[in-house]
Formats: sequence, C-alpha cells, structure tokens
Amino acid sequence: MKKDVSLFIPCTVDLFLPHIGEATVSLLRRGGVNPVYHQEQTCCGQPAINAGYQKEARQAAKHFIEVFGKDEMVVSPSGSCVCMVKYHYPELLADEPEWRRRAEDLAPRVYELSQYLVDVLKVEDLGASFAGKVAYHESCHILRGLGVSEQPKKLIQAVKGTQWIPLNAADSCCGFGGEFANHYPDISEAMVKDKVDNYLASGADLLLLCEPGCLLNIGGYFSRNHPGKKVMHLANFLAGNGRGE
Amino acid sequence: MEQSARDEILRKLKAAPKKGIRSRPVLPPLRELSQTKEELIEKFTKNLVEETGVVHRVPDNQAALDKLTEIIQAEGLKKVMVSTDDVVASLDLPAWGKRNNVQVMTPKDFPDRNSFRDAVFNEAEAGITGADFAVAESGTLALIHNKDQARLVSLAPILHMAIVPLERMVPVYERVTEKVFAKKDQLPSQFIFITGPSMTGDIQGALFKGMHGPRRLIVILVG
Amino acid sequence: MEIKTEQFTEAVKRELQNARSRAFLKLMPPVLHMKRDISLATFPDIPAAQAYGAAIREEAMERLPELLEEFEKNALANGAKVFWARDAGEANAYITNLAKERGVKYVTKGKSMVTEETGLNEVLSKNGVEAWETDLGEFIAQQLHRPPFHIVGPAINVPVEEVCDLFMKKANMKEPTLDPVKLGYAARLFLRDKFHHVQMGITGINMAVAETGTIINVENEGNIRFTKASPPTQVSVMSLEKVVPTMYDALHLIRLLCRNCTGQKLSAYVSMDSRPKKKDEMDGPEELFIVIVDNGRTKIYQDLKARDVLRCIRCAACLNICPVYGQIGGYAYGWVYSGPMGQVLNPVLLGLDRTQDLYRASTLCGSCKSVCPVGIDHPSLFLYYRAKDVLGDPYFKGKKRPWTEERIFKGWSWAVNRSWRWNLGIRMVRPYINKKATGGVIRKLTRSFDGWFRSRDLPPLAEKTFHERWNEINKGKRANG
Repeated sequence: MKKDVSLFIPCTVDLFLPHIGEATVSLLRRGGVNPVYHQEQTCCGQPAINAGYQKEARQAAKHFIEVFGKDEMVVSPSGSCVCMVKYHYPELLADEPEWRRRAEDLAPRVYELSQYLVDVLKVEDLGASFAGKVAYHESCHILRGLGVSEQPKKLIQAVKGTQWIPLNAADSCCGFGGEFANHYPDISEAMVKDKVDNYLASGADLLLLCEPGCLLNIGGYFSRNHPGKKVMHLANFLAGNGRGE
Repeated sequence: MEQSARDEILRKLKAAPKKGIRSRPVLPPLRELSQTKEELIEKFTKNLVEETGVVHRVPDNQAALDKLTEIIQAEGLKKVMVSTDDVVASLDLPAWGKRNNVQVMTPKDFPDRNSFRDAVFNEAEAGITGADFAVAESGTLALIHNKDQARLVSLAPILHMAIVPLERMVPVYERVTEKVFAKKDQLPSQFIFITGPSMTGDIQGALFKGMHGPRRLIVILVG
Repeated sequence: MEIKTEQFTEAVKRELQNARSRAFLKLMPPVLHMKRDISLATFPDIPAAQAYGAAIREEAMERLPELLEEFEKNALANGAKVFWARDAGEANAYITNLAKERGVKYVTKGKSMVTEETGLNEVLSKNGVEAWETDLGEFIAQQLHRPPFHIVGPAINVPVEEVCDLFMKKANMKEPTLDPVKLGYAARLFLRDKFHHVQMGITGINMAVAETGTIINVENEGNIRFTKASPPTQVSVMSLEKVVPTMYDALHLIRLLCRNCTGQKLSAYVSMDSRPKKKDEMDGPEELFIVIVDNGRTKIYQDLKARDVLRCIRCAACLNICPVYGQIGGYAYGWVYSGPMGQVLNPVLLGLDRTQDLYRASTLCGSCKSVCPVGIDHPSLFLYYRAKDVLGDPYFKGKKRPWTEERIFKGWSWAVNRSWRWNLGIRMVRPYINKKATGGVIRKLTRSFDGWFRSRDLPPLAEKTFHERWNEINKGKRANG
C-alpha cells in the first residue's frame, strides 16, 4: 500500500501554473508515493504577512493547520510557501499557545519538493532526459530559508543528456519579492534584468528554478523582452521528459 | 527634581523588559595557538608583507644596527625621530646617528609638546620605534604609548621603522591584551595595534598607501 | 543630517540613472564580499565565529545599563570625563561648549556616524568652530555636501574628475590630476596642516570596553590616530549601544568587523584609549571627554524585538551583499544609515511613518541576515515594522495603510479560510482578468498593477485551476488531452 503524501499547492501554481502541480503529482507517483490533495486548501498567507497584515494572515495560518494538521507528510513545489509554514507560523501564532503548538508540530512535516525527493524518498533519477545545457537559479527562500541547494542540483544532474552550465550570481535575488515587484518596479526591473543578463551570458538553453514566484517574474520578463527564451520549474523539467511546460 | 541625562537614560534602560542571557556558544581556538615559533614568525612576515610591510630578520642588535645603516643610506635619510623605549634604548641610536651622519632626535629633546610636534611633523624623515609585541595572526605590531613611546613618532613621518625582539612574538591579540590590560590601575593612556602602513580606497576604490600616516613600514625582527 | 527618507522613490529613479554609480556598484561590493569570504577562512569554523559575535552583542544589549555603568566607573577612575546626552541637542551643545571654552577655532574629526545623526558639524560651524572631516571619503562628502554613499567608502562613488575639481577649489591642490593616488596625496598635504596645529579632536567610538573603561577605534588612514595624538583635548562620541563586556569580547568583534568590512584580518590601526595622557608624555590628550549619546535608543531598547538592531557593529557586510543596495547605492536611503542596516535602524530612530519605503523596499531575500556577524535578522524586522505600520502602532509611529489596501486584505482573509469562497472568488474574477490577455499573455491590468506590467507579462489565469482539475489530474489525464 503506497504511502500518502499531502499536496500543498501554492496559489501561484493553482491560479497561473497548474502544470507545475501536475508535474509534482507525476513525480511523486514515480517516486513511489500516493499524492493526496485536500480540496479545502487555499493560501498559506504569505501575501498578507509580507504586507504586514498579521491578523489576516493568522486566518490563513489557522485554516492551513486545520487542513494539513493531520498529514504525515506535506510536500510543495515552492520554497517560500514552505518557509512561511515552517518558520513564520509559530511566531505568527505566538500569542495563542494551542495554535502555536500545532504549528510547531506541523512544521517538521512540511517539505519542499526537491528536498522531499532527495532527502526523504532518496531518489535522484526520475527517468527524465534532456539534450541541452541548463542553468539553475537558486531562489532565496529555498537556498537561504531552507538550506536547500544540493538537492535540486542532484536532481538536475541526474537527468540524462543535460549539460550543467554554471550561472553567474546564481544565488542573487531575481527581484520578485511578491508585492515588491509591483511597488518598487524600478529596482525590481534592474534586478531581474541582471538575472536575465547573467543567464543570457551563460549560454544555457534552459533556465531552471524551484520557485513559482521567480518563474512568474523571470518568465514574465522573458515574455516581454526576450521571447523564445525559456524558464522552467524543476518539477516540469523532471516530469515532462524535456518536452517543455 | 529634574533628573540628569545619565540617570534618565539608565533608569529607562533598567526599566525595559528582559530576555535573559544565553550561555555563549563554543568558539574553536585559532590555529595560531598551536603553531611553532618558526611558523609564527613566518606567518607574521607573510601577513605584514601582504600589507606591503617590509620585514627583515637579523640575529642580534649589532645586525639590527647594520640593517638600519643600510636602510638609512639607501633612503638617503638625514633626520629621524626615535622613541626612547627599551628596545631603541638598547641600540643607542643617538650614538649610531653620529657614526652615520644622521641627526637623531627624540621627543625628550624638546621643551614642550608643540615644539616636539613641529619637529615630528616637519623635520623627521622617518620615525624609529621598538614594539612591545608582534602578533603573528595578522602581522601586527603592538605599541604601548607612554613617556618613552610618543604617539606621533610612528605616525607623522612618511616612513616608520620598528625593531622587535623575536621573544616578543605572540600568536594572537589576547596574549598581548592579557598583559597590557592586566592591572586596571595601570592601564596605558593609549595602546595601539599597527598592521602595515596607512591606507585608503576612498577614491573610486583605488587602494593606496600613505593616506595620513606613514606610507611605508619596515620591521626588523631581532633574534 | 537632513532627513530625506520620504523621497525614496524619486531618489531611486535618479540613482538608477547614474551610470558611474551603477558601474561602481557592479564592481566594488562584490569584490569586498569576496575578500570577506577569503579573510573569514582564518577562523577554523566560520559559522561558530559569527555565532559567537552574535552572542557577544546579544549579551551586551541584554546587560546594557549595567555595562554602561561599569564602563563609566572605569573610565572615570582612569581620569576620563564622561558626559551623557539624551538627544542631539544636548550632545551638540556640550561638545560645542567644550570647544568654545577652550578658544578652539577648528576641530579635526574622525568618522562618527552618531555625530552625523546629531548634525554636530553644522552646530559647531554656527558657533564659529570649523569642523574638518579627515577621513578621505568623509572629507570629500563633507566638501561636496553629500550624504554617505557607503558606510566604509562615503564618497567612493564620486568620479575622479569631481574630486579633482573639488581639491583644486577647496584643498589647495596646485596641479589638476585624475590619479587617485595623487589626489590622495593632495588631501594628505591639506589635512596634515590641520592635524599639525589642531587643539581639539573629535572621534567616534567603535567599541567601549566595560571591563577596563577603554574606547577603541578601528581605521586604515591614520586620521583618527592624529586626531587623538596631536591635540591637547580629545572628545570621543558613542551612541550608547557601542559598549561590549570584556576586552576578549572586543578583540573577537574586531576580528569579525575587519573581515566583514574590508576583508582585512585587521585594519592598519586599532587604537585603544583608557585615560588622558600621563604628565610625562609628549603627545596625546591632557583631557579626554567621552560622550554617551541616546538619541532614540532607549526607546528602541524597550522593544525586545527591535532591540536586536542595536547589536550592529557597522561592518557594512549587509550593504555589500544586498541586491537592492547593489542597484541603488547609499543616497536613496535618505539618511545617515543605508543598506539593510539602515533599513532596520532608520525606521526606529525616525519613525515608521517617515520611512515607509525603507522597510518595504526589500524582497526578503535574506542575504543580509546570512552575512551579519552579530546575528541581526533583517527580514524578520522588516516584517515586524510592516505589521506595526499596518496596525498604526503609535510607539514607533505606525501610519496605517490606505483603506483600499486594507479592504483588499479584509476580503482576502474572508475568503482564505473557506475554500468555497476562495474558489468562487477566483471563478468570478477570472473572466475579467483574462479578457485583458492578448496573444496568450496579459500585458496590462488596472493602474495598481502598472509596476509589474511595465516590463513583464503575466500568464492568464488557468482555464481550469489545479483545484478545478484535481479529479482529472488524479486520474492521470493531461490538460490538453
């Protein structure tokens, strides 16, 4: 009997990029577990916390804990959402000891996808292949928030046919930051331009990343300024046999 | 009654909530602490040379004087200001100066601070001092300022030369401060670490030596 | 210093146009960061070294009043004089008075950011005492009437042509030159004359050691040493959080400071003063005055979370790694402190209302936190200030947000804990958003999203969200058959 793993689908994926969620399901099945999806999930609350609306964010946090609280394992294709749940929920709920306890209890059971595949399922090769050069953007919350860096790299390098191209300033922020990109567009644009310039200079055929927010940012910039250039979530890269999104 | 600023500030700080002090985490000891004397000398030299310091090693005081003579002649120096600390005193630089046609001034030659200041700013082509310690971890000299070690001698002239007996070499700063700050009622007015010449990068990040202090530092290790 | 924190957006626009600054920012901070990494390798365990630095500063803040008293007791016993100033006015008046009482016509100054907070130089000048900044970068910035561009290199972005012009006009330079070394030499000659005759010197303080009553200055140029050695009167000014418990603690922090700041193991000069000169010494101060300045810190101290901001040792490692600072440089932050450390300090010194952009203009990338040698969690503080601002918390002068924004989040929170409301909302909004799509992407929405759409597209909302497609996905059917 296959183990159940609960899917935590970020709202960015749900609304704009459901194919990332689909790929996540496919990968988990290949990894030998059974993905379950709680229909009652909505949003982890990151937009509210980031904007300073803690009271509102608490609503989201409590709902999340209600929805996922009993799951043995929760997996998400987004590092920032996982950080929110693991590290911000306990502090957010500090004044309500029972909720705080439940948040602290849930935190160790929540994983980012690449972290889950490599560290828990102990799987690196998921059968994908890709003939080409790939570069990897290290998203802030995954790298500095969760300390996840080796796992995506192992997964990428296990894909047959890929040639790993180092990306200059790979760990530098792409300028998304949620509302930041809209409220401070001058700075955000300068940052995403630098990220894209570094990517273009790398000579890679495809830019990979693990964060839907970064993908919307860089992808949106590509679409407007460099049509034809590709950025892809690691889940699609691993699941889609290199055929694209 | 109006509270003094001091009392008001301290009262407010003391009334603030407390978090509690956590015990200090473990700090592994620096590698220098387990190095040999020769390794320390090598490290001191490498570190100071990296900062463009020049390091000579000589066996004894006579050799130190010979080296000084060599430098003085190569630089064409005619007038220097020297400290009266125990290292310099053991070399008898005034006598050496007479032998080598170099005018050797000391701060004690001057009746007051202003005339000393004039001389060390305007006339001294080099300052020569001893040092109380040499610290290997960064190629650093440690000087205690007192009546025999005036501050401006190692600061105002464009060239600073320091003579350091090797038994004063230590691995890390703590070995120095343990001694210098041992007795609370005997603290030096000023104590200083010198690591290389004066430096800046403040114009477009272009690094160069000799901003306000000496442009060059020569260290003669003796022993 | 004049407060321009409310002009952030305009300042950013302006700074992003400055090609020279941007070229400098592409080069210098990454070089400093690289040198930092190399020099930190002298520690057998880098994270342990940084964690120990955090522990020292955490303890120093927790024991702040006790340490200040211990420092004062020892400094007084050594023969120094200690003056406490509640605010800028008291600090400036005291120091100005010292100068006037002694008939001082000018002072030389070593870098002191707290005196830039209080605007000391202007007050001295108004009272007939000229204040000469002597750190090369501070000297240039002062003469150009500019704020600091970077903590360590206040005028490092100023092109050599401008420096040359300045020195020809104001520093007695005889021959024009674009060579930084020759320019530096011209400044050396000009300022040397000031050092030679100065009667009163004013410095900042990097660390005040409680255990011994010692003040410590860290520098490369020698201007602070001159300011302390040459005149008979020395005034050293510290904001009250600069105190550390022991000499051992100070030494560890100095190692961290120099490596994190410029990648040096130790700066060229570290000078430690414990008392005025003894009678038989030929230079050094006859009188040593130590000024301890509050200027808003006791207020910060009351808040257990904001208190962490006071740990900062001004190393600027956060500036060198910040991707936002790396685009906009120091001027845009609008006050004494720039970069992430300015973004956490300026708001609680000046008020959240005047600095709304400072704690919002961050992607929370966490790079600052990852390099900080004293463990300040800048992103967490940004979130804390944002929350206080939204609540209109009066303590730090939270301003509250526009009601349109509040309405959006109220609506969002109403929907977020009932998935039927959430999904209904999506279904209702989707056709309106997607009808704006052209060529398969959305290029523009309402004005409130102009920031994004200026240079980016957005995919349309999925015809069927993941939630709506779950049953199909679960059965293994792909979206497009």
